Amino acid sequence: MKLPAVTPNRALLLCILVFVLAASAAAGSVERTVVQLPEGAGSGLEVTLTVNDIPVGGIVETIPDGCTWAGCDHPDNRTRVSNRTVAFAVVGEETVRYRLQGSPGAGDELNGTWEDLLTGESGVIGSDGPSRSGQAAQTTVPSTPGFEYAAALAALAAAYRWRCSR
Amino acid sequence: MRRLLLLVCCICLLAGTAVAEAVPCDRDGDGTLTSSEVATAILDSLDARFMGGTVEAPPSDDLRDAAFVYEHWDGRALTITDSSGRTTTLARPLRRLAVFNSDTLEVMRSIGVESDRVVGVSKYTLEDPTFFPEYQGTANLGSIWAPDYEQAAAVRPDAIFLYATLSESFCDEIETTLMSIDPGIRFFRFDSYRPAVYADEVRKLGLLLGNEEGAERFLAFHRNVTGTVAERLSRVPADDRMPVYLENWNDYKSAGKGSGYDEKIELAGGRNIFADIMVEYPVVDPEAVISRNPDVIVKIVGAGELAFGGYGDDDPSSFETVRCSIGSRPVWDRIGAVRDDRVYVIHTDVIGGPEYFIGVAYMAKWFYPDLFPDLDPRAIHRQYLDEFQRLDYDLDEHGTFVYPA
Repeated sequence: MKLPAVTPNRALLLCILVFVLAASAAAGSVERTVVQLPEGAGSGLEVTLTVNDIPVGGIVETIPDGCTWAGCDHPDNRTRVSNRTVAFAVVGEETVRYRLQGSPGAGDELNGTWEDLLTGESGVIGSDGPSRSGQAAQTTVPSTPGFEYAAALAALAAAYRWRCSR
Repeated sequence: MRRLLLLVCCICLLAGTAVAEAVPCDRDGDGTLTSSEVATAILDSLDARFMGGTVEAPPSDDLRDAAFVYEHWDGRALTITDSSGRTTTLARPLRRLAVFNSDTLEVMRSIGVESDRVVGVSKYTLEDPTFFPEYQGTANLGSIWAPDYEQAAAVRPDAIFLYATLSESFCDEIETTLMSIDPGIRFFRFDSYRPAVYADEVRKLGLLLGNEEGAERFLAFHRNVTGTVAERLSRVPADDRMPVYLENWNDYKSAGKGSGYDEKIELAGGRNIFADIMVEYPVVDPEAVISRNPDVIVKIVGAGELAFGGYGDDDPSSFETVRCSIGSRPVWDRIGAVRDDRVYVIHTDVIGGPEYFIGVAYMAKWFYPDLFPDLDPRAIHRQYLDEFQRLDYDLDEHGTFVYPA
């Protein structure tokens, strides 16, 4: 039997997959679902973040170019928006829902990270689990090892998706 | 001048204590961390790190501690009384644990305390790689009888765990010495092997360490075993309880009134033939055993000159030898237990420590086989190891705990 050749793309995908699978043994994760709102509601998207096993934590989403913030159902005192970045404080919530104005494909370009303040884990939204353990909320401002790592993975995944969609 | 220096030191210490006792991220300082205060602290932290914000963000340790206090202690400082009767108030979680008491370490594992929080263990933990594999390589604190103070201070523990009633004076000395080195260390005393306070200690450890759910899960399992035994034994009138002679690894050293073993015999439905002796562990006269004529003899091994069996020993032959030697004692063939072949050998691992309830299940079945035809102590033991100790240990292949098995 001839084994398929391992191209750089496949190797990259394999690395990401192995990492995600290894990380998924631990608890927390955040999933993202993007739904296009009906025509009458304008060219809007509704984004739902499903928070799994993160009782107290934080989420940071980066809104893609061409999109604008259009509000959320999350309490005002647990949400902060600045330019293209949105931060959510999670204190017991299991879902965070927000809306964007933008093209239907913009949902694919969203990227974000989460951190669990009880376990110290952090990860990329949409992966099955934490990409880094015990590193969330480090003091060094502005960089955070756990988050940087998660952000790097998010960027890697986005780049791969962009290559695939060409 | 010296008085002034002392005064300054005292003020510094008091100030340090005051800061340490404030709940982190409690903005209004009312002693209660609300969800709104937690959310603000999280947003300030994210803002400073990812959004270029200029708000003053809480230090990462404060934020994580606040999350813990909010989630596990309802946002307030925790006041807890340990088994020595000492009350301690904590405004932050205990992240670095030094555990002299290996029984408490086992309970910590039962309730799901992460092993990386434990920064120091006793030499006995390190001498037991089969049962405590994850702690091999952890700092060796020595024992409560010969502590390594230098090492204990060097691991910078938030808290040190000692026995409550075992070798109290040695534990007192450890506290005094280490407190003089680092006044910030907290001390907690739990036995983790006494049935009367076991459930209470498990629950308190769960609350203290933020493992309340794990503690309740374990207690449900524990309750299921002890409750089943107690419920069926309730049908046996007090006068009909089985007379039992228990002997530890020293010949003729038995259990008197109020000892842990006396309590365990009672829990298993037995009547300790030396319960009238007020000494906890009396050395009894062999003649007295003959005259009190027990129906069952239970011999404990695993320490002293009978230091074999348990998790690291698969050979039951020594258990058999011990059992035979009891039957061969002069004139003991007159004892009902010997005559009826009701002499049992049990390892201290399943009767002397946190696994005592497994030993109680074995004894109940030995005492009243007709009452417990479906009770399977080995299955209980297996579940304990798999589900609560999370050990990769095949009980069918390894270990020697009771004889006859």
